[in-house]
Amino acid sequence: MTDANELPVKLQRLIETIDIANILTEPLTQSIANLLQVSAAEINSDEASVLIRDGDQGGLRFLSATGEAAGKLLNLKVPAGKGIAGFVLSSGQPMAVSDVGEEKSFYPEVDKSTGYSTQMILATPLNYKDEIIGVLEYINRRGDPPFEPFTPVEMDKAALFAEAIASLVNAYESAKLFRDFGEKVFEGENKDDIADMRNWLNARRDSAEHREMLDLAVLMREIASRGEGERKICRELLESILRFSESKSETSFVNF
Amino acid sequence: MTAVTGYKSTPYTSLSTYFQLDDSWKSASGRGVSVAIIDSGIDASHPDLHGRIIESVEARFDKKRIVFDMSEAGDSAGHGTACAGIVAKIAPEAEFYSVKVLGAGGLGDGQAFLAGLEYAIKKRCRVINLSLGTTKPQFFSPLHDLLDRAYQAGCIVVAAANNLPHPSFPSVFSSSLISVVKSEETDPLNFGFHFGEVIELTAPGVNVRTAWLDGGYRNLTGNSFACPHIVGVIALILEKYPGLTPFQVKSALYSIAKENQRKLEA
Repeated sequence: MTDANELPVKLQRLIETIDIANILTEPLTQSIANLLQVSAAEINSDEASVLIRDGDQGGLRFLSATGEAAGKLLNLKVPAGKGIAGFVLSSGQPMAVSDVGEEKSFYPEVDKSTGYSTQMILATPLNYKDEIIGVLEYINRRGDPPFEPFTPVEMDKAALFAEAIASLVNAYESAKLFRDFGEKVFEGENKDDIADMRNWLNARRDSAEHREMLDLAVLMREIASRGEGERKICRELLESILRFSESKSETSFVNF
Repeated sequence: MTAVTGYKSTPYTSLSTYFQLDDSWKSASGRGVSVAIIDSGIDASHPDLHGRIIESVEARFDKKRIVFDMSEAGDSAGHGTACAGIVAKIAPEAEFYSVKVLGAGGLGDGQAFLAGLEYAIKKRCRVINLSLGTTKPQFFSPLHDLLDRAYQAGCIVVAAANNLPHPSFPSVFSSSLISVVKSEETDPLNFGFHFGEVIELTAPGVNVRTAWLDGGYRNLTGNSFACPHIVGVIALILEKYPGLTPFQVKSALYSIAKENQRKLEA
């Protein structure tokens, strides 16, 4: 059994790892979604989505999407070489198709999963530092068909939005890499420790004292995410509690 | 009559020092002119292309090398078929060489695309359609060398600009290839030439109706589809004037575009 004194340290690191995942990646996915929404309105498109590389064999997965089918698209995968997006990823050439219809190259599985009917697509590559890291797609016009085809001016606008979105996607990937790396380091350290810690956590799940500690950690994370003012007040409050606790040796958190 | 004057010091003996084009190329069909499409393959069963494909090869990674095997895989994306369809519409008797470098299994790598270009040069295809490019700087120098080889071998390489904020290779090279950007013009013979701009030629590339998979047709927009329009025009010119060098072909395109511009202004 791991020394009980080490466990709070490990617990703290676990919480930090979760924090990295949420604090670093969440605002980025939110920013990507916001920018997608703005760009879809600008291009007068009904649905917009960001697909990023999935593995190194040319596959893609949906990272972000707007529109009614958005929820169903997230994390959906597109195999290598499939669809207009797959082609844009491998060729680096933006293109628009104004009558997609039912065809092999379109990869209709995406429509089948979402129940959406794709009529036209504008797809442009996401470039970051000379690498194509994904594809930005716009599908259909707002309103009812028949739709006016995407124009060259809209293709140029899409290329500019792709530039901004590619930077955010790159930042997201870096944050995710950092998070995954953190988890790997933590896992790789000692597999028995992880098992011990799980057991320890499970054993204490019903312990009021530890539940309160975890609740407190969650609460602090929530406050920290509210803004600079909240973080400052929280820090001042906690430091004054600490000073009070240090000045009165008989006082502890448990009976405070 | 499109007069292209070159330096004439002595009575000329071949087309390489002086040449003049009449309008006969406008009624040509590209007969006997070899056109390589370096792309996602070509669907040989498409009615617009049936019987026009002389050879189909596909890139394959053999350890670290790229080799080309004869292929019956056709086209999985539609893009190569679309490009060939545009060329065939202008030059219906051109002979196609399909060099597949895009597709599943990690293809689409810049390395495969360079190897495809090298393959087409070795085959001495007269016109090479490159509706793709790369922004990776490590390919800048090898591409430059390959394009020089193409030039010396008499192969005319036509590349699509990528129209993105980044420059892409080889479309930004100007000396040894012809680069094309899309315009809303619909007549393939009515292309433009803008000397001094990075991408010199403009050709139809907006809502172009062309061949697609399964014998179908699609309306497509992109520089990828402007490029084969110029390839088709070159195939027509080369049928009538097979001895022209890449430099002369570029001069001819320049003169024809000037003539187009003059007619437009008149």
